Amino acid sequence: MAEKPVWEQIGASFVQHYYQQFDTNRVNLAEIYADTSCLTWEGEGFQGKNAIMGKINSLPFKTIQHIITAQDHQPTIDSCVLSMVVGQLKADEDQVMGFHQMFLLKNVDNKWICSNDVFRLALHNFGS
Amino acid sequence: MGDKPIWEQIGSSFVQHYYQLFDTDRTQLGAIYIDTSCLTWEGQQFQGKAAIVEKLSSLPFTKIAHSITAQDHQPTTDSCILSMVVGQLKADEDPVMGFHQVFLLKNINDAWVCTNDMFRLALHNSG
Repeated sequence: MAEKPVWEQIGASFVQHYYQQFDTNRVNLAEIYADTSCLTWEGEGFQGKNAIMGKINSLPFKTIQHIITAQDHQPTIDSCVLSMVVGQLKADEDQVMGFHQMFLLKNVDNKWICSNDVFRLALHNFGS
Repeated sequence: MGDKPIWEQIGSSFVQHYYQLFDTDRTQLGAIYIDTSCLTWEGQQFQGKAAIVEKLSSLPFTKIAHSITAQDHQPTTDSCILSMVVGQLKADEDPVMGFHQVFLLKNINDAWVCTNDMFRLALHNSG
């Protein structure tokens, strides 16, 4: 880890933590959002920790597993970290689906929180 | 357009402008980046307008067409706009491929510039 840039360490740690929580007990994700956070889930917008957790907790599957295909991280000029994830997920007994997700991470009171989160399934995005 | 939030109008105008320039003359994309902009292209990093435009100009195809499947835009707490695009592209005579791209837009001196840009093909991400 020593030679990786700090934003990459922060982004990669966040991504690992996020999907681990999501796959084991997604109610715990509340701690990563703030009241100004935005989530866009398959085109539907939610603002604030409560609205976001309401959406995440109500997703209609019991078990889910994410696998990351690729992740990229960048620093921003406002001292945030921007992360983009491409991966696959398996929900209950559904077939494996591709997904795309991005996070903007901001340090607030010495803690990295997720201020922006955008998620899309890759279902309708296959080439011929 | 009247009832769309402003960040969505700005984000979708940018996205339309970006892919139109990319598909017609991508050497002109320099206009949207600044010297602190970052591009990560298929995992490879470039910083600054000159390095970014050099990378985009040297991509090994002569014609390309993007089509957008979905785009999402959000305001950020630092008054930026975050845009995520999922789509398909066709380069030369290659098969159509899925792609995924993220832009962070910031207003500097009354112009919206792209400070962060990440691009990935969706090639290895099929279920």
